[in-house]
Amino acid sequence: MLEVRELEAWYGQAQALWGVDLSVADGEVVSIVGPNGAGKSTLVQSIAGLHRSTRGTIAVDGVDLTRVPAHRVGDHGVALVPEGRRVFARMTVHDNLVLGAYRRSARPGLADGLARVHSLFPRLAERSSQLAGSLSGGEQQMLAIGRALLAQPRLLLMDEPSLGLAPVVVDEVFDAIRAINADGVSVLLVEQDVERALEVSARGYVLAEGRIVASGSSAELTGSALVRRSVLGL
Amino acid sequence: MMARGLGGFALVFAVLAALAVWREDLGLPIFYLVLASTALFWIAQATSWNVLSGYSGYFSFGQGAFVGVGAYTTAVLGGRHGVDFYLTVPVAAVFSALLALLVGALAFRLRSFRGEIFALLTLAVPFILAALARVNSEIDGGQGVIVPVAEYPDWLAQFQDFLYLLNLVVAVAAVAAAFAIQHTRFGWALASIRDAEDVAEGLGVATFRYKMLAIAVTGLIGGAAGSLFALQIGFVTVESVFGLTIPLFVIVMSVLGGRTHWVGPVLGAVVIVLIQDRLSASGFEGWNLIVLGAILAVLVVVAPDGLQARLWRRPWQAAVALVAVTGVLAVVDSWGGPLDWFVAGVLAAVAVVLWPGRARAPVAAERRPAAAPVAPEEAAGAVPVAADAEPGEVLVECRDVAKYFGGVRALDGVSLRIRAGELVGLVGPNGSGKTTLVNLLSGALRPTSGSIAVAGRDIVGLAPHRIAHVGVSRTHQIPKPFESMTVRDNVAMAIMFGRSPRPLAGAREEAEACLDVVHLRHLADAKPAEINLHERQLLEMARAIATKPKVLLLDEALAGLNPAEIDAAVAVVRRIHATGITIVIVEHLLRVVNQLATRVVVLNQGALLADGDPRTVMNDPDVIRAYLGRHAHARGT
Amino acid sequence: MTTLQAALSGALVGGMFAVMAAGLSLTWGMLRVINLAHFGLILVGAYLTFELATSWGLDPILTIVVTVPLMFLVGAGLQWAFDRLGVEGFASLLVSFGLLIIVMQTVSNVWSADFQRMEGDVNPYATGSVSIGRFVFPAPTLIAFVFAVVIVVAADQVLRRTFAGRALRAFAEDRAVASAFGIDHRRLGMVLAGLSAASAAVAGMLFALGNAVTPSTPFEWIGIVFAVVILGGIGQVGGVLLAGVLVGTLSAVVSATWSPALSPLVLFSAIILALLFRPHGLLTPASRGAR
Repeated sequence: MLEVRELEAWYGQAQALWGVDLSVADGEVVSIVGPNGAGKSTLVQSIAGLHRSTRGTIAVDGVDLTRVPAHRVGDHGVALVPEGRRVFARMTVHDNLVLGAYRRSARPGLADGLARVHSLFPRLAERSSQLAGSLSGGEQQMLAIGRALLAQPRLLLMDEPSLGLAPVVVDEVFDAIRAINADGVSVLLVEQDVERALEVSARGYVLAEGRIVASGSSAELTGSALVRRSVLGL
Repeated sequence: MMARGLGGFALVFAVLAALAVWREDLGLPIFYLVLASTALFWIAQATSWNVLSGYSGYFSFGQGAFVGVGAYTTAVLGGRHGVDFYLTVPVAAVFSALLALLVGALAFRLRSFRGEIFALLTLAVPFILAALARVNSEIDGGQGVIVPVAEYPDWLAQFQDFLYLLNLVVAVAAVAAAFAIQHTRFGWALASIRDAEDVAEGLGVATFRYKMLAIAVTGLIGGAAGSLFALQIGFVTVESVFGLTIPLFVIVMSVLGGRTHWVGPVLGAVVIVLIQDRLSASGFEGWNLIVLGAILAVLVVVAPDGLQARLWRRPWQAAVALVAVTGVLAVVDSWGGPLDWFVAGVLAAVAVVLWPGRARAPVAAERRPAAAPVAPEEAAGAVPVAADAEPGEVLVECRDVAKYFGGVRALDGVSLRIRAGELVGLVGPNGSGKTTLVNLLSGALRPTSGSIAVAGRDIVGLAPHRIAHVGVSRTHQIPKPFESMTVRDNVAMAIMFGRSPRPLAGAREEAEACLDVVHLRHLADAKPAEINLHERQLLEMARAIATKPKVLLLDEALAGLNPAEIDAAVAVVRRIHATGITIVIVEHLLRVVNQLATRVVVLNQGALLADGDPRTVMNDPDVIRAYLGRHAHARGT
Repeated sequence: MTTLQAALSGALVGGMFAVMAAGLSLTWGMLRVINLAHFGLILVGAYLTFELATSWGLDPILTIVVTVPLMFLVGAGLQWAFDRLGVEGFASLLVSFGLLIIVMQTVSNVWSADFQRMEGDVNPYATGSVSIGRFVFPAPTLIAFVFAVVIVVAADQVLRRTFAGRALRAFAEDRAVASAFGIDHRRLGMVLAGLSAASAAVAGMLFALGNAVTPSTPFEWIGIVFAVVILGGIGQVGGVLLAGVLVGTLSAVVSATWSPALSPLVLFSAIILALLFRPHGLLTPASRGAR
């Protein structure tokens, strides 16, 4: 599904990623964990086409996306749940969701998609006509996920979905990730909550200071000393 | 520098004044003085505009307001009340300055307007004044006001000579003032406001006061020149002063000439007046404004920095172009007259100056002077030790500090004491409130509740520059150097406006010592755009210590660096700490915090989670849970 | 009685300012382009209406069949250039100021600096009026108001209900995330700028219908129209109509009860107060300004 090779990324002169390799297979949930500032968000943004100062390849189903403009990346089945949710605050919940299906190919599936999102997150149905900016943090996260689902992705990029949320809400979000994956959508999950991320995923990568320092099955990584060291810096 | 410069202005004034006094003996046609008068009027206006809008970056569309107040003061006092013209000029200048202060108080105090909103606010002012003038028959009443011809000394041949001399006095005074401002603290403060206002405020620059001063100077010059304008046009109407023509001209002139240097508006005014005059003389009157509009539109896209900076880079090429084109046309003598040839030469010089050249690349590695290694002790000794607080004394005291953004509780009841000599690592997951705390300590934000004291002084509600003077200094996550100044002057700025201010020369000397501490001395003459991110972050630190803080707040000063650079930066932080400055460092890389800090404070969801020495804190189950997730401590340890 | 009549007439005149302001407000809010050249396009629209009506004998209102598509192309082309050159925000204000001056002077060179007015023989609406009860409304202002309502309601519905409208609103809020959902800002921006310019053509026609025009008339519009844009809330098309009516009424009432010369005083004091206390528009809660 997704194959990232030798990815390097810069912010001006500052290099954020050094030779990152990773892959996500069809129907897989893969997590990327690591300390703050390790380059996780840069990685996700590079894949989504929002960060363009890169070298290396990012291939989805064999098609290299590094030269594809951001608004065309979605055509290849990739959708993004951005860090900090970034819902369109001055638009209603409904409009946010509809916008997820902006791409022409996604529009026919709008009604079905809305129904699916409403069954996944019933609270969004209740708040359909409310402005997204007036939602709680957890509801905004659900909206961000719902919006991405309406794009009918085959690969969902999730950037720190638990950020700033209360534990109960985080549980709901992670349940949703499982449900989405059960529908056949591959998920690349970037998380700072290492334990939860590894619970929901089959495999994981540890990113520290812009490099992949460890990878393996979630079972191997859970509780590993290496993960601890790289996250806590001990 | 200053004395020589002002002497130069006196000399220029004497020479130009002589042209009017002995004009007939010199055989100079009056036409040239009329043209020069126009140029001088616009030099004064553009310079007036530039003090506020060029130096400090607050673009105004309201120049007509100052001209209008000046013109109407002279017209009404002279025309209706018989007041002597010479008396009306200072009155006009003062009225205009008062208006400027009123506008400034509204725009800078109530809300901090920048960019287009400030421009719109200033655009509205002439409209209001125009309405007032139209309604009030004591002023205008819609009829216009006739300005009586002023008496002029009999050693001048004509009234035009007199106008020229008056304009010369005001223009030279205006340019000399702009020159003086640029070369004093005042000008440095305005430049720092233009480059990065919030950083300037944080380094101790009283930005509000300097902006008010700048707008007052703009009003003063604009009003005095407006007073002469009344005499020149003889009949003042609302349309002649309050329209958009005056702002259009001063903006085009200053953008063309360059807005960061006193020479810019002078160059721009001369070039524009010459072009306008030649177009009119050649029967292309209808093209005057089209050319003006095109110059503005093209310049903003192609060369927004204007002529001056580029001219300084290619002075000889410009001079050669001017002389060559003028000379060739004079020799061939098949078209136009001397003024046409000269203007053609000027245009050729302008073209040569504006011709796109190679962009200046960052200082290439081979051209860079090597960093001379400085022994840590040596560097530490070079910096005046700032620790005027006894080690162990409580320096920062936060009590129950909370900050809400709407419904979001970024910080909720944090109490924290920092003692002199500590190096505190402030850590926590994303969104835990670290940067909010730094912003509260530096005064960039005000707490919703709670108290913060630094060195025993309550700092809540103080302007950031006052807090800097109390002894708090900070760096920014994304370095924000003053782009128009060299590395050395960036640091000198902080010394000039810091806790123990020094004049420029002394500040530059002292800046070298600060640059030694961060190992940047070899780049002292580079511009910030020419150095890399690592060096920019070191510059942030050098600038912060130059204010001689008691507490230094480092906000993710190592973000985006490679491992070797991180190690270098860590050594620099150690050196700074060794000079006796108390440090609070916000950092994602826990490995760095563990290496550096004498104490670690962990925030989580806006509250204090742990506080103690690094080893203990990093083994605290709550901390591990915050970083790794809910079950980590149960399984891990 | 006369005050009420003045207020109602003023409200209708406000409709015309709303048409002028709508496009400006949308390109400012959505594309961050503060397009002073918009006033130049309105001016050209007015002159073209005058020209087409007098030389071709076209019905003045029908001239928009020619001017609207023409202006659409101009607006879209301008936005294409702005986008390519990266002209945005404050730079766009300066560049378009230059363009406005060029347009005004060109119009003056082509049509002379004198007043131009469509006489009764080519403009059947010039002298018409409609009486409702004791109130009399001149036809041009009524027509302008109808156009204002139609344009504003249509724009509002498009923004609310269509994919393109939602995309524009999303783009105005968060460009990066919007592009991740397939929104191509270049194309959308050109369409919006084109429509904005097309509305300028309509505004020009409406102005020419009831007023004499000179090349320097845009200077009279700038202040009032910016007042409408700011009071209505930048980028909020519904607010534009409300603000237009408000500004029109206010200025007519001040003129009628006090003095016509005072209405700019009241108006611009209102803008300054609005900038100081409600910089995000009258309809927007003040709290949004906090962040």
